[in-house]
Amino acid sequence: MIPSDHFTRFYNEVFKFLERQGEADLERYFLEISKNQEKHILELIREKGFEGMRQYWSVIKDEENCDLDIDVNEDRFELRMNLCPSLTKAKDNDAETFGRYCDHCAGWVGPIMDKTGYHLVYDVIDRNKPQCVMRIYKDEAKAREAEMDVRLLMGWPGRKQV
Amino acid sequence: MTSADERPLRYNEDGNVHLDFHGAVNTTIDFIVSRYGIEAMHEIFARVGKDVYRDIRGHLLAGDADELVRHWQHFFEREHADFDIAVGPDEIVLTVRRCPAWHHVNKIAPSVSPHFCDQTIVTNRAMAEGTPFEIDTVITGDGACRQVIRRRA
Repeated sequence: MIPSDHFTRFYNEVFKFLERQGEADLERYFLEISKNQEKHILELIREKGFEGMRQYWSVIKDEENCDLDIDVNEDRFELRMNLCPSLTKAKDNDAETFGRYCDHCAGWVGPIMDKTGYHLVYDVIDRNKPQCVMRIYKDEAKAREAEMDVRLLMGWPGRKQV
Repeated sequence: MTSADERPLRYNEDGNVHLDFHGAVNTTIDFIVSRYGIEAMHEIFARVGKDVYRDIRGHLLAGDADELVRHWQHFFEREHADFDIAVGPDEIVLTVRRCPAWHHVNKIAPSVSPHFCDQTIVTNRAMAEGTPFEIDTVITGDGACRQVIRRRA
């Protein structure tokens, strides 16, 4: 058994393998993971909207030992990751860290938001730092406006950004 | 001076566990095997054994299997496995009667990949390759296995 604690280091090896196959291979994998994640989050979002997102990421905060803050208002859901355990472990690693490790997060979240009619603005800030800000809007115009203020805007399969 | 048992493991996670990661491993195995073949999946697991677990492998290379035993004890306890480890003069046997990874995937996924336990078999083999030890992994049932460390003849 690869311990669940070490999944991110396994993930890191999968990313490196897939990047060697090509960009499209990496994107197909993000979509597969997104599909896998649907069973955990899709109905929550469809039934409860932002509240469903809060429920899902509150469990993640707890189970994955994340230092993160969630803020919700009428227009948007915001997740501010202060210390990401996933990238932290991928970097605290005797194997080399995949340089675009952070891309997977928008890679699976983005397609789910597209599917549920929300608009994701994912600011990775810096791929070498374990922090990011994810904002999800109901209104597309507000999302496009919010994109103006990000430092490193992340795309996903179906929406190229960087 | 710190004794070997008190030294922290190279990866010494604590806090809560997120068992759904095992489901993502299962999805990944199905994805990689269906598109690139089983050899590609084994190549990735071998990289985990040799690179991610370089520290454990370093201990094995130096003739020390205790670090791997401590790793097993720590992480199987964290995930509440039903297991025991018997350290004998000629071999060390990890008996897993209820693997938390297999059983969690069996609960949340449509099916457990037929290659799910390759993560253990191939990672163990890669960790031990070129060391004085061999690690045999025998699957003894659904979510059950026996992993044996022996000195090579």
